Amino acid sequence: MFRAISTLAALRFGRTDVQNHVIDELLAGRLDRRSFLRHGSRVGLSMALMAAAMKTAGLSTIGSALAQSGTPGGTIRVALIAPSGTIDPVTVADQYGLLVLQQVGDFLVLDGPDLVLQPMLATEWSPNEDGTVWTFKLRDDVKFHDGRTMTADDVVASIDRLADPENGSNALSAFKGVLSKGGTKKVDDHTVAFHLDAPNGNFPYYLSSDNYNAIILPADYSGNFEAEMVGTGPFKLERYTPKVGATFVKNPDYWGGEPKLDRVEMSFYADQQPQVLALLGGQVDVVQQVTVQGSQSLFDNPAVKILELRSNAHRQIHMKTQSGPFADKRVRQAMALTLDRERLIQGLFRGMADIGNDSPFAPVFPSTDSTVEQRAKNIEKAKQLMAEAGTSGFDTTFTTMSIQELPALASLIKNAAAEIGINVTLKIEDPGAYYGSAVPGKSDWLDSEFGMTDYGHRGIPNVFLTAPLKSDGTWNAANFQNSEYDKLVEDYVAALDLDAQKDAAGKIQRLLLDETPIIFPYFYNWLTATAPNVAGVQPTAMGQLFLKDATVG
Amino acid sequence: MSAAAETTTADGNAAKTPAARKERTTLAILLRSPAFLVGAAIVLFWAFCAAFAPYFVPYDPLADDLLNTLAPPSAEHWFGTDQIGRDVFSRVLVGARDILTIAPLATLLGTTVGTAVGLVMGYFGGWVDAIIGRLIEVLLSLPLIIVALMVLVALGPSTPTVVVVVGLVFTPLVARTVRAAVLSERHLDYVPAAAVRGENALHVMFVEILPNIWPPIIVEATVRLGYAIFTIASLSFLGFGVQPPSPDWGLAIAENYGVLVGGFWWTVVPATVATASLVVGVNLVAEGLQRAVAE
Repeated sequence: MFRAISTLAALRFGRTDVQNHVIDELLAGRLDRRSFLRHGSRVGLSMALMAAAMKTAGLSTIGSALAQSGTPGGTIRVALIAPSGTIDPVTVADQYGLLVLQQVGDFLVLDGPDLVLQPMLATEWSPNEDGTVWTFKLRDDVKFHDGRTMTADDVVASIDRLADPENGSNALSAFKGVLSKGGTKKVDDHTVAFHLDAPNGNFPYYLSSDNYNAIILPADYSGNFEAEMVGTGPFKLERYTPKVGATFVKNPDYWGGEPKLDRVEMSFYADQQPQVLALLGGQVDVVQQVTVQGSQSLFDNPAVKILELRSNAHRQIHMKTQSGPFADKRVRQAMALTLDRERLIQGLFRGMADIGNDSPFAPVFPSTDSTVEQRAKNIEKAKQLMAEAGTSGFDTTFTTMSIQELPALASLIKNAAAEIGINVTLKIEDPGAYYGSAVPGKSDWLDSEFGMTDYGHRGIPNVFLTAPLKSDGTWNAANFQNSEYDKLVEDYVAALDLDAQKDAAGKIQRLLLDETPIIFPYFYNWLTATAPNVAGVQPTAMGQLFLKDATVG
Repeated sequence: MSAAAETTTADGNAAKTPAARKERTTLAILLRSPAFLVGAAIVLFWAFCAAFAPYFVPYDPLADDLLNTLAPPSAEHWFGTDQIGRDVFSRVLVGARDILTIAPLATLLGTTVGTAVGLVMGYFGGWVDAIIGRLIEVLLSLPLIIVALMVLVALGPSTPTVVVVVGLVFTPLVARTVRAAVLSERHLDYVPAAAVRGENALHVMFVEILPNIWPPIIVEATVRLGYAIFTIASLSFLGFGVQPPSPDWGLAIAENYGVLVGGFWWTVVPATVATASLVVGVNLVAEGLQRAVAE
C-alpha cells in the first residue's frame, strides 16, 4: 500500500491540476480503463505514465494491438476510390485524398482506434488552467523526405497555413472559432504553443489525425504537393498518377523505425463493386472501406478479413423546426418514435452499428451520458403526440442522396411515417444535386423540410454539435434556434475535465431528445477488408490506414 | 375496326372500300402470325399485371421486413426478398405499373407531336420542310439518353418530366416517318381536290391525309413503345426516372445490382427478365404489324 502511494506521488509530481484530476478520477473508480486512457491522453499524460497509474490502480495495462506480424518486405496493394480534386494537404476534403496524405505525412498526435490519443510528432502536450493555451513538445529526431530536420518553425507554418482563410483550407471546418491565423507560436525549436480563440478542452484532437489535413510539411512548402509529396511519413512518393493510382517506397530514415513493407501501391477505383471483386480475385490486398450494402460477399468469407472499428459516422434526419408541419416539436418526436432502430441496425448493417438516441453523442464518445433514456419505437405514443399537436397526418417530401444505404433507409422511413399518417414522397438525388451550393436557398440539403445527410466519423463530437445544430451553424438544415442549447454547447466545448464534459453532454442529450430537430438513428462501424495474409494494418474510422507495421504473407 | 369499315362501305364511299378490305386482311395476317401472337400475349400479361397485380400479389410490394432481408427464393417468397426484406415476386408484378404507364404516355405524346410536325413538313414542303428537317437532323445527331439526362438534370427527376422528355425525344423520329408517308400521299388526287373545295390546310392535313397514313404511324408508334420502355428503364437505372420506393424494374435493378457480387441474383434477375420480356413482346407486336401492313 505504502509502495503504491509513493509510486503515485512520483507519478503526480510535476503534473498539472487537470492531469492530476484524471489520475484521481481513475483511482476513485470513476473512470474505467478505456475512459482513463482517452482522457489522460487528451490532457497530455504519456502512455508510460498512464500504464504505471493503471498498474497501481490494479487495472490491466495497454495491450499491444499490433503484436501479430508476418514476413517483412514486399508490396501491399491498396484499393480506394479515386480522390476528387488534386492532392494538396490544405484542400483535401475526402476520405480518399486523406489516405494518400497520411502515407507521406505525420500528425502531431495520432487518434488511435480507441479514440485514445497517442504521441506522433509531438511527445507531450498540456493545457493552461482554463484551456485557452495548449503547449506541445516536439520530437527532435524527425527528418523530412528531403533530409532536412523538422523543427517548431515547420509546425507553426503548417498549422498556420491551415488556419488561414485565404488558403481555402479544408481544416477551417475544425479550426474556425477555435484557432485563428497567428495563434500558433514557436516557444523554442521543439516547443509550440497554440493560443486559442476560446477555451477548448479537446484541442489535441484538432491537431491529431482526426483533422486529416494537419500533416506537418516543411515551412517553405509552396504548393504542387503531387509532384514530390515531401513529408515526414513512413513512406515516400514514387509516382502519383491522377485518377489512376500512386506508389510509395519505404522511408528507411523514419523516426518511428523502418517500415516493414518495401512498397505501397494504391489503385483508384470508381466504385465499391470493382474493389470487392479485385480483393476476391487477388488483385489487391486491402480495400480502404467497404459498406455492408454491396459487400455482403465479403462477410463470412474465409478468404477475407474484415477489420471492424466502432465509429460515430452516422446519418442525420433533419426536420425544419421553424416552419411547416414539423414546426411543432411533438410532431418531430412522433416521427422519431416510428423508427425501430434495433431492426434498422440488424437489417442494414448486420448489427455492425451502435444505436442512436437523437443527439450527436454516440456511445463511442466517453463524454456521452449513458443514463439518458434510449428512445425506442412506440407508435401508440407517437399517435398520441400527433393528436396533441392537432394533426392526424400530412404530406411531405423526404430528400436525400443515392449513396450507400440512404435510399433503403429512405424507403424504411416512408413506411414508418405512414404508420402515424405522415405520407412521405421520396426525392432521391445524386450528392451534387443534394448539396447544391451548400448555402440556404441554393441547396436541397439546407432547404428541404425533411431530409437526410451523411456525416463521417470525428474524434470528438464538437463539429456535430455546432455546424448542424447551433443557431448560427452553417449546416443547420433543421433551422434549429435554441439559445439554451447554444450556451450548453459552449460549456461543453470549454469543459476541461470529464465530469464537466459529461454533465454538459447529459444536458445537451436531454434537450435534443426533447426538441428532436434531428433524428440520429444509428452510428455505423467502419469496415476495412483485407486478404487473409495481411497483418498489422491499423485503420482509423476517419479512413486512414497506418501501414508502417503492416506485412503481406 | 372491321365493323366501322363496313359502315363506310355501306355509305357507298367507293374510295374507302379497298382500305376496309385491307383492314380485314391485315387482322387476318396478324392472327396467323405466331410472332405477333406471342408478343401480344406477353404484352397483355404485363398490362394485366400493371392493372390488377396490387389486388392479387401475396405481399404488399412496399412492406419491409428487416429481419428477413436478402432471403433466397422459397415457398414463402417465390423470388426471395430484397435488401430491406421486400417480396421480390410482388414487386416485379406490381413493377409493371410504372413502366406501362409512363412508356405508353411518352409514346403517345411523341407520336402525336411527331405526327403533327411530320404532317406540316410533308404538306407544306419547301422552306418549312427544309428548316424543320435540319432541326430534326440536329436533334437526331445527339445521343438520345444524353439529351434525356441533361433535361432531367436541369428540371429534376419526376414522372411527368420523364414522360415529356422521352416523348419529345421521340418526336423527331416520328416526324420523319410521317413526313415520308405524307410525301407519298400529297400528290394523290384527293389532296388537291380538297384544296380546290376550299378546305384549309389544317383540314387537309388532319382530316384528309392523316386517315390514309395511319398504318405507318401505328407501326412507328409500336416500335417507339419498345424503345420508350428501354429508355425509361435506363433512366430509372441511372436514378433519373421513377423515384423509390416504387417497385419499378429499372429502379429495382439499380438498387440491387450492387449485391449481385454477393450472389443475391434474385434481387436483380426477375426485374431484368421482366424488362427484357416486355421489350421483346412489344417488338414482336411491332414486327407483326409492320409485316401485316407491308403485305
